[in-house]
Amino acid sequence: MNIHEFQAKIILKKYGIPIPPFFVVSNADELPPILEKMNLNEAVIKAQIHAGGRGKAGGIQIGRNRTEIIEGAKKLIGLKIVNNQTGTNGLAATQVMISPLISYEREYYLGCTINRETGETILLASPSGGINIEEIARSEPDRLLSLPFESGGRLHDYQLIRLVKFMGWTGAAAENGKRLARALCRAFCETDALLIEINPLVETQAGELLALDAKFTLDDNALWRQPEIKAFYDPAQLSPNDALATSQNISYIGLEGNIGCMVNGAGLAMATMDIIHFYGGHPANFLDVGGGATKEKVAQGFKIILSDPHVKAILINIFGGIMNCATISAGIISAATEQQFDIPLVIRLEGTNVEEGKKMLKDSGLSVILADNLEQAAQKVVASTLSNCANN
Amino acid sequence: MPILVDQNTKIITQGLTGSAGRFHTEQCLQYGSKILGGVTPGKGGQTILELPVFDTVYEAKKALDCTATMIFVPAAFAAEAILEAIDSEIPLIVCITEGIPIHDMLTVHRALKNNPASRLIGPNCPGVITPGQCKLGIMPGYIHVPGHIGIVSRSGTLTYEAVWQTTQLGLGQSTCVGIGGDPLIGTSFIDILELFENDPDTHSILIIGEIGGEAEESAAEWIRNHCSKPVAAYVAGRTAPPDRRMGHAGAIITGGKGTAEGKIKAFEKAGVVIAKTPGEMGLAAQRAQELACKH
Repeated sequence: MNIHEFQAKIILKKYGIPIPPFFVVSNADELPPILEKMNLNEAVIKAQIHAGGRGKAGGIQIGRNRTEIIEGAKKLIGLKIVNNQTGTNGLAATQVMISPLISYEREYYLGCTINRETGETILLASPSGGINIEEIARSEPDRLLSLPFESGGRLHDYQLIRLVKFMGWTGAAAENGKRLARALCRAFCETDALLIEINPLVETQAGELLALDAKFTLDDNALWRQPEIKAFYDPAQLSPNDALATSQNISYIGLEGNIGCMVNGAGLAMATMDIIHFYGGHPANFLDVGGGATKEKVAQGFKIILSDPHVKAILINIFGGIMNCATISAGIISAATEQQFDIPLVIRLEGTNVEEGKKMLKDSGLSVILADNLEQAAQKVVASTLSNCANN
Repeated sequence: MPILVDQNTKIITQGLTGSAGRFHTEQCLQYGSKILGGVTPGKGGQTILELPVFDTVYEAKKALDCTATMIFVPAAFAAEAILEAIDSEIPLIVCITEGIPIHDMLTVHRALKNNPASRLIGPNCPGVITPGQCKLGIMPGYIHVPGHIGIVSRSGTLTYEAVWQTTQLGLGQSTCVGIGGDPLIGTSFIDILELFENDPDTHSILIIGEIGGEAEESAAEWIRNHCSKPVAAYVAGRTAPPDRRMGHAGAIITGGKGTAEGKIKAFEKAGVVIAKTPGEMGLAAQRAQELACKH
């Protein structure tokens, strides 16, 4: 799960990591009394979206007086930002974060991640801040320090010394840096995070270190034990279908094509998208209906797939290993009858009692196209979109 | 001697009293697996499916001398169940559970490093099966036939698809291992490839990979340097968008790394027979098996 910059900063603040003061508004009209109360005359206004690269995309404005701040907020609230991180539909900010301008001398990168190959939690640091970390890893690997730390979040003293030297922190910055790094690692472990990035971490003339921008990615599998973080969930940052699927606990990802897919198992679902593409089709979605494939789950799946207006045909691919195909067919028939749609439905069933399952589908009165194997299923559903389009 | 499980493997089920644990234990018993008992803390003394239930793995092992455990414990407690099995030095631990928090798996990972007597397969996996001898998992037994293709996969139903295709071609499987769809797992592709390499009953190998991480790339490197048997592979997720978790927690392309293309290229460099579509997995395995027979 992703969260907004301001929410990330709320978490950092809780761990004693210095951040610039901020407030968040969803309407520019809220600003005048706040600016008055805070005596704020210069500020940065940042669109709160679940994507980076905001600066280049016009998602960050500077206001040098109160009028400009309010204008900046008006501009950014509701502004749709499209870049290579937002997907082609873009993301719109419903809120903006307003912070006073901070003067600083240097920018750094500091982050925490997990190395899945070694099973280590890692602190990543670079004295080249403000740049994409993958770019640094690629072009300046000597400027990237990777420190594994004990799960639980404790960095050793000798690691902190190494960090301080690597970053070029001296005096107050060195002490602040050590404290901050320890707090960041602890935050990483205690929030069940997959990734934290402070980029840039800035150093003021006085040697203060502040997180100017922050990003957290949290483990979906741990949200049940992270109520405060779970409360940060913002469905507005997902497409309507993705948000609906999340609310129903369905594993669904909307894509850009016109062939809806419903499959049991994530690997098989990805493979089904792949084979559709191989035969010239374009999947409209990834959907893993899970081990159950009950009537309810199938019905929910249909609803979500059909609320995508681009969908011109649906492919159901279910390998009912232990689950009886007759049960699966009953579920499909029931759900499809309820939904009452008239686009081609291609079904490939395999598993226990498959002949019975297929017979039920043939006798159901539903207009279904049966396929005997994966290849046939993909070819038939792609062909059906071509003829369907030709009929329109 | 097949890898990991055979007709003599003595198994317990952790989470036997839960509905999934009970259902799948029954399925495994019907297949002929030697499941001797189960563990659910607080339910020791009960009998399920005529099997004794114990409060702890320690007690179960003492009473039954089991060498393997199948874990059906809910995600919130599954890591604890794995740690308990490691603590009791159960040699083979197969964790079916999906949804274990990754930070819990970091603790498990460290415990495994400190306790080399135990091997963990999974989590978030369908289990292991040696056709005709032992089923330790949730896979449908009937699609498998004894044979000589070793299958190792990150997936569940996609593996069944591959097994089904090979069975239909008249080819059988020596052992099928689901290593799981999570980013942090107990056993890697390489671990299983090493076992297959040393298994006289495995003549060729089929790998089923997917986007995310570097496991396939590492496996390709290992194959190039150490594998004497022909290998076929399919990698799912060519059409997956970046930065989205495709169902499996480990199936995510981040920072441009972990793409299907990259993995397929790595396999090709290692001389692996590539299935261009999931409909051709059986044919690719057949091709590899033919290469094996040539030797």
